[in-house]
Amino acid sequence: MSGGWQNASKAALAFLVLFLAWQYVAPWARVPNYVLPVPTAIAQRFWQTRAVQLEHLGQTASTTLLGLAAALLVGVLLAMLVVYARSLRAVVLPVLAAFNSIPKIAIAPLMVMWFGLDTAPKIVLAFLLALFPIFVNSVTGLGEIEPDLLDLSRLLGGNAWRIFLKVRLWHAAPHIADALKVAFPMALVGSVVGEFISGNTGAGYLVMSGQMTLDTPLVFAALLSITALAVAGIGAVGLFERVFLSWRPSMRSR
Amino acid sequence: MLPAARPLTPLKPAELPSGSAERAGLAVEVRNVRKDFGATTALADLSFDVRPHQFVSIVGPSGCGKSTALRIIAGLLRATAGAVSVWGQAVTSPLGDAGMVFQSPVLLPWRSVIDNVLFACEMRGERAERYRERARELVELAGLQGFENHYPHELSGGMQQRVSICRALLLHPRLLLMDEPFGALDVMTRERMGFELLRLCDLGEYTVLFVTHSISEAVLLSDAIVVMRGHGDAAKPHMLEIDLPRPRTLATMRDSRFVEFAAAVREEFELGRAR
Repeated sequence: MSGGWQNASKAALAFLVLFLAWQYVAPWARVPNYVLPVPTAIAQRFWQTRAVQLEHLGQTASTTLLGLAAALLVGVLLAMLVVYARSLRAVVLPVLAAFNSIPKIAIAPLMVMWFGLDTAPKIVLAFLLALFPIFVNSVTGLGEIEPDLLDLSRLLGGNAWRIFLKVRLWHAAPHIADALKVAFPMALVGSVVGEFISGNTGAGYLVMSGQMTLDTPLVFAALLSITALAVAGIGAVGLFERVFLSWRPSMRSR
Repeated sequence: MLPAARPLTPLKPAELPSGSAERAGLAVEVRNVRKDFGATTALADLSFDVRPHQFVSIVGPSGCGKSTALRIIAGLLRATAGAVSVWGQAVTSPLGDAGMVFQSPVLLPWRSVIDNVLFACEMRGERAERYRERARELVELAGLQGFENHYPHELSGGMQQRVSICRALLLHPRLLLMDEPFGALDVMTRERMGFELLRLCDLGEYTVLFVTHSISEAVLLSDAIVVMRGHGDAAKPHMLEIDLPRPRTLATMRDSRFVEFAAAVREEFELGRAR
């Protein structure tokens, strides 16, 4: 525990040094405020726009979570298809792998053409970016079960449904939690990029409007909001792990 | 360190294996079983019987097909030729009411000791609450009292294996299949576990089919031993009846007849090799 505090205080100290350097070195080096605003200027702008920030961030959070939820549902269902219908594995895996090699950001304009200017394209982008990590980890989690355990479950009279519910799903839970830690920031990227290219809501829109008016402190303030959301999302998954997955090996040393 | 042996709470008649009394025939019947994996023959011609309430070991060197034989009897593998029946019924799919213990304990890391034991009845589709008391008794009998709510990673290898034996015994299976259950344990633990297994089995009158490569373990535990001699077509086994008195204890191992039986099993191996 003392080691944890020590590490935390070291990290805090590092950030403090970084911010102090930023605050005093940037003006000294004559970096103008519209290029790199000092931390106090960003904090001030953040506080001034807090109500607007919150409103737009709420919009971004909702499209991110909707996209993520859809990715979770579809990813796990696709993984089940691959795990249970082994013959489909040869079809689904290459298609998804090929699909994954398309840079999803590049198809953002297409999403706007297909789904309009409202929230739909943002949700779709969030979904597309989050889908692959969830799918891949679900295949591992649901499929790669010790053969002896499956044999044992069958010998005890377990049918496919009970084995799914009491073995596969539990085995997959930590894998899916790991996937969510990657997928949440990915979904957030999808939402924000969607907001960059269309619409007038969301933290991504706020960044763009800061850019249009050369309000660099506002750009930084909006970035701060987006980062806070990413940290909160990953933290929520971590909390879930601590509460419900405390048995998993990586949790044991904590 | 172990609590005095006392009988388990008897199962209600409805929970007892149905019709075991009238089917007084053989527990396991293996007839001319052959198993090929591609061009490799794992079992050439295996035949033996297990009578009800017998403790039968299959002994043989690594790769002689003894685990394959057990998996065929369990219905996890299909024989290339020959027939297996368990309690008079031909085995065509996984048994569904057999207790099984593997070399590794295969516990569920997300379940506590007691919930791992109760996994057995949940797979059968029964409510765990009905069996909680029996699970607790089994765990206590296995010397795990105080560890009911521990997770598998908090237990030693020997303790984990005891949990998996409790899980196998929970539903009072008519046939207990064990595939080198003590193979991963150190020699001292292994001996003690053998005696504990006998004690647990005596309480329940189980029929046990036990795979091992240890001659002394087989002689110590069994009523009969199937000696499998070696690879492929030399797998024709020989069956030895071990009529050492029960209960078997550490003193049994110093009995001159124990030594004779062990020598007889070893001789079977040598005969196989000479051929």
